[in-house]
Amino acid sequence: MRRRLQAVAEGKSQTLGIDLNDAGVDTALIVRQLTARHQPDGRTQQRLAAAFQRSGDWNKVVDSLAAGDAVRRSRSARMAGALDMHLAVPWLSSLLLAHEPVVRHAAAKALGKIGGTRSAEALLRAIQRRGPTPTLIVELARAAPDLFLETALCVPQRTGVKGAVAVAAGLRRRRAAVTPLLALLGSGTRRERAISCRALAWIGAGTAIPAIAVALGDSDWMVRMSAVKALAALKCDGYMPELDALLVDRNIRVRKAAQNALRRLRKEMAPRLMEWLWL
Amino acid sequence: MSTHTEVEGLPGNGRVPRQVLTEADRRSRPQSLRRHPESGWPAYSDMIARLAVLERAAVLFALPEGVLRALARRLRRITVSSGEMILCQGEAGDTIFVMEQGRCRVVIERPPSVVTVAVLSEGDFFGEGACLLNRPQQASVFAQTDCTLLAIDRQVLQAVLARHPTVLEHLRRVAGHRFNTFADTTVQATWGTLFNEAAVVGVYSPKGGSGGTCLAINLVGSLSRRYPGQVLLLDLDFPYNHAALLAGLVPTSCLARMAAVPADSFEEALLSAVLVHSGGPMILSGALRPEEADEITPDLVTRAISILRKTFCYIVVDLGVTINDSTLALFDLTQHIVMVAAPELSAVKSAADAIDILLRLGTPHDRLTVVLNNRSLKPVVARQAVERMLKRPVDVEVGFDYSRPDQAAVNGEILSITNPRSEIAKGAEALADLLEVHHGRRGLAGTTNARAQVTIGARIGEL
Repeated sequence: MRRRLQAVAEGKSQTLGIDLNDAGVDTALIVRQLTARHQPDGRTQQRLAAAFQRSGDWNKVVDSLAAGDAVRRSRSARMAGALDMHLAVPWLSSLLLAHEPVVRHAAAKALGKIGGTRSAEALLRAIQRRGPTPTLIVELARAAPDLFLETALCVPQRTGVKGAVAVAAGLRRRRAAVTPLLALLGSGTRRERAISCRALAWIGAGTAIPAIAVALGDSDWMVRMSAVKALAALKCDGYMPELDALLVDRNIRVRKAAQNALRRLRKEMAPRLMEWLWL
Repeated sequence: MSTHTEVEGLPGNGRVPRQVLTEADRRSRPQSLRRHPESGWPAYSDMIARLAVLERAAVLFALPEGVLRALARRLRRITVSSGEMILCQGEAGDTIFVMEQGRCRVVIERPPSVVTVAVLSEGDFFGEGACLLNRPQQASVFAQTDCTLLAIDRQVLQAVLARHPTVLEHLRRVAGHRFNTFADTTVQATWGTLFNEAAVVGVYSPKGGSGGTCLAINLVGSLSRRYPGQVLLLDLDFPYNHAALLAGLVPTSCLARMAAVPADSFEEALLSAVLVHSGGPMILSGALRPEEADEITPDLVTRAISILRKTFCYIVVDLGVTINDSTLALFDLTQHIVMVAAPELSAVKSAADAIDILLRLGTPHDRLTVVLNNRSLKPVVARQAVERMLKRPVDVEVGFDYSRPDQAAVNGEILSITNPRSEIAKGAEALADLLEVHHGRRGLAGTTNARAQVTIGARIGEL
């Protein structure tokens, strides 16, 4: 199987006589390995996709998405993801609501790999219906095109969805998300405010430091703890007195976070201090 | 209706095979399935508005009407408030934005300066380089007023244009052309090429012993024959600067020592550190002692280049082997990079990696020149193999020159001036011709900057 796929990927062969139902071979894994070093629109991907279409396996993959067996459905979902089958997105998005976790997981991964607006919308809808899960959030971050998450952060959403989108925006590390995240930090729920602090730190938004510093005085301990962690991650040593003050916070987790942050920041400052003393 | 049930029940029981939705089924679907992304058709008036905007975008001129309609159906409409960032320079991207309403500012950030290079309005588009060519964004884009954008992401393009590979290829060509044009604009914006300032050429060899310094000196020699007194070699090959030594000159000051010079006398001190070779080239050493190399900071390099480019016609920078902060700063400031590789396995591999890094940094393909410097009579790695490894053609090949370069160094001569028939001189001449094509300065040859004449004249007088 690997040899046949490799021959097609290298352009040496155009025919693909494989059995997708062969339980002993993970075709999707082989395809992903072969295309791993290439861009999504790379030639390897195109050759493989063309060969699958010519041999009729393309339709078999789509048909298998409706199979009764959960294993077959998950294998087909993985295959659809590996081949970047845009046309399969509607069926994959239906699989996000499947009863079997293995199918849901495979569908989410496939949609994340395929990407684009429709995949991201499907993942967002799944988060709205089933609630945020780590897989859905990570795959949403992978699938979302430019300004998709930023737009989703600016429109009213169900409870918990904005938090998930904020995490995805942080994972994506795009500067364009800084403004909506700052807005969320100012007006979100306690959970959203806490997540915004961490997401801003992941993005490395230096411009958000004053807003995060304000969150050090938040009434909720979770927000205070996130702000402390964010300042430490941003290596911001301009708010040491405020962090010192949090060493006697009424919440033990905030105190612990402040302690760790101060230790980390002092460690960062030490070489600079030594340099200054040396000069 | 039955078809609808089958499709919706697909993930749950999965007992019924997938069936194709007919048009009648599509119309009779209940509201819950209408929210499906596949069925999110825009209203007629909205489609007309979308098509009107897409038809105005130059990148989509060549698309057939059916494709345009398919794109119009699938795109996203985004509203951005005034002052918000839309794209960030250097980040990856996967969407082409076409402006429907409002104005956007395209900004290039090259610390310490931030330059607005364009203001986009209705019908303009941006983001195509990142989307179609997988290159990082060349500039940041901010909304200057409240904007409405139409976003076409990569997956939509691939899905719609899957049956039109020629159209996709055409789009890539247009995007590539715009990418290069924009790279030129970037250089002009940050470098003031419009004000006839110097072209900065970086000579970089990722492996020591490839002949980078030798080629840089001879390139300066070739260019000096065309522009006497207007070509400078800045030696940043650290920690050991050898350019002045190879040219038979003894430096008494260097760039590193300028770090301690006050700002008001920086320019005078910098220009007085330039050495003049009797053949015409000028050389500025980076550091006289290895430990002085630490004094060279990106800020110092930027300040020095900003002064030197007003004085000279060409600045050739010998970048040496290592990539540090100063080298990266110079990569940002150079208009052309010459990559020198010897036909050895390790040198070619290093060159391939370095080319990859440079392309990732946003260097346009036509601003990168590969020179193959043969250091032996019968090179082990053939030119074809080198080109295969580098995934690009060798632009200039320098033949083996026996002991002539070493002999010239002992005599303090520059071969491209004293012996134009030597192999290294021929290679340097070919390279100079190539640079002239891109950064031709013929018009400047007779109009030397007055300040340069005074300063360089004074320096020659001192000597």
